[in-house]
Amino acid sequence: MFSAMAKGPTVSEPTYFILAALLDGPLHGHGIIKRTLALSDNRVKLPVGTLYGALDRLAAGGLIAVDREEVVDGRPRRYFVITDEGRGVVSAEALRMAQAATVVISRIPRPGATFS
Amino acid sequence: MTIGTESRATTGTGTRLRAQRPERRPEQRLERRCRSLLRVYPRGYRDGYGEELIGTLLDTAEPGRTFPSFHESLALVRGGLRARVEYAAVGAPWVDGLHLGTLILAVANLAYLMPFIGTIPLWVGMSAFLVLAVMRGRLWMALPLSALIGLKAGSVALGVPLLDPTLLPVVSADLWNRPAMYGVGGPVAPVITHGLLFLGIAALAVRRERVKARSWWWWAAVPVLTFSDPASLNVAAQGVGTMSRIALEAALLLAAVFAGYTARDSRWAIAAAIYLVSMLAIPVENLAGNLIPYTGQDVAHWLSLILLTAAASAMPYQAGRQILL
Repeated sequence: MFSAMAKGPTVSEPTYFILAALLDGPLHGHGIIKRTLALSDNRVKLPVGTLYGALDRLAAGGLIAVDREEVVDGRPRRYFVITDEGRGVVSAEALRMAQAATVVISRIPRPGATFS
Repeated sequence: MTIGTESRATTGTGTRLRAQRPERRPEQRLERRCRSLLRVYPRGYRDGYGEELIGTLLDTAEPGRTFPSFHESLALVRGGLRARVEYAAVGAPWVDGLHLGTLILAVANLAYLMPFIGTIPLWVGMSAFLVLAVMRGRLWMALPLSALIGLKAGSVALGVPLLDPTLLPVVSADLWNRPAMYGVGGPVAPVITHGLLFLGIAALAVRRERVKARSWWWWAAVPVLTFSDPASLNVAAQGVGTMSRIALEAALLLAAVFAGYTARDSRWAIAAAIYLVSMLAIPVENLAGNLIPYTGQDVAHWLSLILLTAAASAMPYQAGRQILL
């Protein structure tokens, strides 16, 4: 099972949450940071320098694209959208983590199971 | 950059928009500090995306904050350095790496000759012009200069007067406290260095395609390297000249490792390898001829050059197996 899971690009946690944040629709930089924070229960707080570097690399890799540009409150803002390839990568990563989680969860007793 | 907003960089939209925005004082102070940090990014990136980053930085900052957080500052510096590397990794890696390598050899040669400027001012001046020509990509101007300087260096190293009646040995002024020019070690290492320099420039020149102009900051390496003779480095004595050379070498080679890893590109490793060949020719020749006794610290210095160059060479392939972010 794990040999199959090891194939394909490995996705870091910030990348995973950026792609996951874009699954619901296009977002701009600040929107991605807020959505990532919400999806991760306030655990993954992306610094702006890290976020835009990741967005550049994800766009270069074809996993996201620029959907549109707007000017809000006098400042330019790009909205990013996930591509089919990006959707495939984040789905594969989610499946891999689900399989990996199953390996452990199926071996530990559920709370109260000892006395039931 | 592949994100499709390059047009913004040329239109300067962001700069015009900035002037329209009314701001409060804490936010202004934060913005000014964020702009200072953004200078780590290359100008092309700042022109294209700087305003967007500033906007997001201000949107995500806590109210009343006048400094970006340490975590945010670190991420900006890291992101800026990565962007600089990615902007530098354009064109064929071997061409760019060869150009950078020849520039480093030309700079090191000029630094070596500086103490002898009183004795051979013409050749030192020509070496400075060679640095300028290579730096600005004027290869057909650099090629004859490199040939003449190489011939002169070879003649001095071999003890045969050539091209002009220079008195041998060529000695420096007393204040430099340096051995005579090419007076330590054998003649092979200088010949290899100048041969590499000439062949590198020739290989670039025959392509008849322009190479990019490189940073003026390379001139700053000249005074750092001037106070040490690579053929008579005494690492154990820890002289200022020797230590500054070693520090500069380590900094540049570590930068080559970082750049190779970040851009998955071998151009910096190629440049490092050219410098390494030039430098290793010295101990190889001296050990073969039993000319100079080396200490353990000297060996450690040579080994560190080899290891860092090997690391820079391995990084593009190692990075290919790394995670996406």
